[in-house]
Amino acid sequence: MYRNQKTGGKNRFFQRKKICRFCVDNALELNYKNPKALRQFITERGKIMPRRITGTCAKHQRQLSLAIKQSRQIALLPFVGRPMH
Amino acid sequence: MRKYETVFISDPDLQDQARLDLFDKVRNIIAKENGILLNFDDWGNKKMAYEIKKKLRGHYVCVTYGGTGDLVKELERNFRLTDDILKFMTILLSDDVTVESLEKEVADAQEAAKAAEELAAERETAAAAEKAVEESDETTEVQD
Repeated sequence: MYRNQKTGGKNRFFQRKKICRFCVDNALELNYKNPKALRQFITERGKIMPRRITGTCAKHQRQLSLAIKQSRQIALLPFVGRPMH
Repeated sequence: MRKYETVFISDPDLQDQARLDLFDKVRNIIAKENGILLNFDDWGNKKMAYEIKKKLRGHYVCVTYGGTGDLVKELERNFRLTDDILKFMTILLSDDVTVESLEKEVADAQEAAKAAEELAAERETAAAAEKAVEESDETTEVQD
């Protein structure tokens, strides 16, 4: 039986508390020159992942989106990734 | 004065001499327009995320310098004229810097590099000494 049935359908999924990885880990460099780190925040298609999925805080999401866009500009990250099959 | 950072991708198939000439040209432009070169970082050949001018690899170079907007304009104009440059991007790092602060930065960087070099040399000699000690230990053991 579903654990949360009592709540009337709300909270159907257990949600882990999201934390901003850039706030927690100071060593994680947020810079367009570091595409390895930025790759974790884009989808396979190359889209920037939304905050509601990654849990990044507003301040860092702004910096992150800028860094990803700069990184795309000099071909360190793709504008469009390979399509999924 | 402002501090800028320009990343440019040069042709990966360029001959070594031609590449050095290209780098010298960039340095000359910065010097000519009264800019201060802070750092010339050669990242080497890297795979690009997408094709540029039918090429999948590119030779990345990152230049950090202090200068005015005219310098950036002149530099980018030259990049557009050069066929060996596949793509470039300039980013403003700091809006308000003085010649003195930039020169101090250069001196600091040089000092840090020197210190790092000395440290590495020291470590090397220490490691060599340790190795020598170990070897001598081994020989004494054999004698026993």
